[in-house]
Amino acid sequence: MANLKEIRERIKSVKSTQQITKAMKMVAAAKLRKVQDRTVQFRPYAMRLRKILRNILHQLEGDVSLELAHRRDVHKAVVVLITSNKGLCGAFNSHIIKKAQALIEERYKELLEDERLYIITIGKKGRDFFRKHYPKARIVDDYIDILEKFDFDVASSLADFLMRRFVDKTIDEVYVVYSEFKNPVVQIPHAEQFLPLSGIAEDEAEAPSTRYLADYIYEPSKEKLLRRLIPTILRNQFYRYLLDTSASEHGARMTAMDNATENANELLGELRIRYNKARQESITREILDIVSGARALEGG
Amino acid sequence: MHVTVLTPEKTLYEGEATVVSVPGSEGNFTILDRHAPLVSALSEGQVRIKTPDGNSVTYAVERGFVEVLHNKVALLVIPKEEQQSDSDTAADS
Repeated sequence: MANLKEIRERIKSVKSTQQITKAMKMVAAAKLRKVQDRTVQFRPYAMRLRKILRNILHQLEGDVSLELAHRRDVHKAVVVLITSNKGLCGAFNSHIIKKAQALIEERYKELLEDERLYIITIGKKGRDFFRKHYPKARIVDDYIDILEKFDFDVASSLADFLMRRFVDKTIDEVYVVYSEFKNPVVQIPHAEQFLPLSGIAEDEAEAPSTRYLADYIYEPSKEKLLRRLIPTILRNQFYRYLLDTSASEHGARMTAMDNATENANELLGELRIRYNKARQESITREILDIVSGARALEGG
Repeated sequence: MHVTVLTPEKTLYEGEATVVSVPGSEGNFTILDRHAPLVSALSEGQVRIKTPDGNSVTYAVERGFVEVLHNKVALLVIPKEEQQSDSDTAADS
């Protein structure tokens, strides 16, 4: 009998856990949708600007030296690590952290030893890990909560801060480790070089299709425009990192909670079978008792 | 001509217009129908759009860019905080 009661208690607790995971899944889904809406809003803006950039780069005669693309010996470096504040989202954070570890191992081993590597952590999970395992890294957590609630202004102010520090030569290189959102089930961690600006010049200038080659009037000059465009593009880039990571986080949590709900269902099924078996057994035993009792009376 | 005003977070305006005045980095200027292809940086100021029905819409911007191509005007701007979008009637403007 005690067994029956035990099983009943367990069914109850599994059920209430399941309700929580279900609710969390729904919340994550709603948040994901919001982030996706913002991504959709942002895309045309960002794409147009990149198109303008491509045009200018293509029509530019000769090289322009851009301060933000200036490569130099790296004495101090910054890794911006974007993770989530909360767990319950599968291996989402540990994938990003692993990516960051690989980056540090590969590029910044010496800087780390000399305590010249700064890690700007966004999200508590990343900060806690690196505090514990990398005592020599200089952890900056002024921006710890921005993934929870951010807008374009927040992203651009952080990007501006990094650009200023790069231009005044306080730092010589910046990498961002974030998670790209493919779909709710697939998130891909990336480590991308943010400063000095790289790649854009090459891959934007290559093979511009002919429809981009309109004969524009540029105001002010192409060079001046370029100098204003590059920071804008970098701010956009940073906003995209945040959007992508945020979408990934909610996607990962949604998937994790969906799995948890599914597992709870399985467990409940098993428990119900066990409960019914136990119940049947006890009834059989009772009937047996009654019947044998009656027999004993008749016989006597 | 067709005009879109985009910010990173939303579309402020999308539709036809007859006149667009923008705060160019080298001074304010006005774009009329069939303007030549143009790319310009924008400084802080007001973007004013006159719609075909005679109304006008104003947006305060902090900075941005404008591109004109094939009679389409794209304004890519960072809105100024507390951006007002008051639309006044043709009589006022």
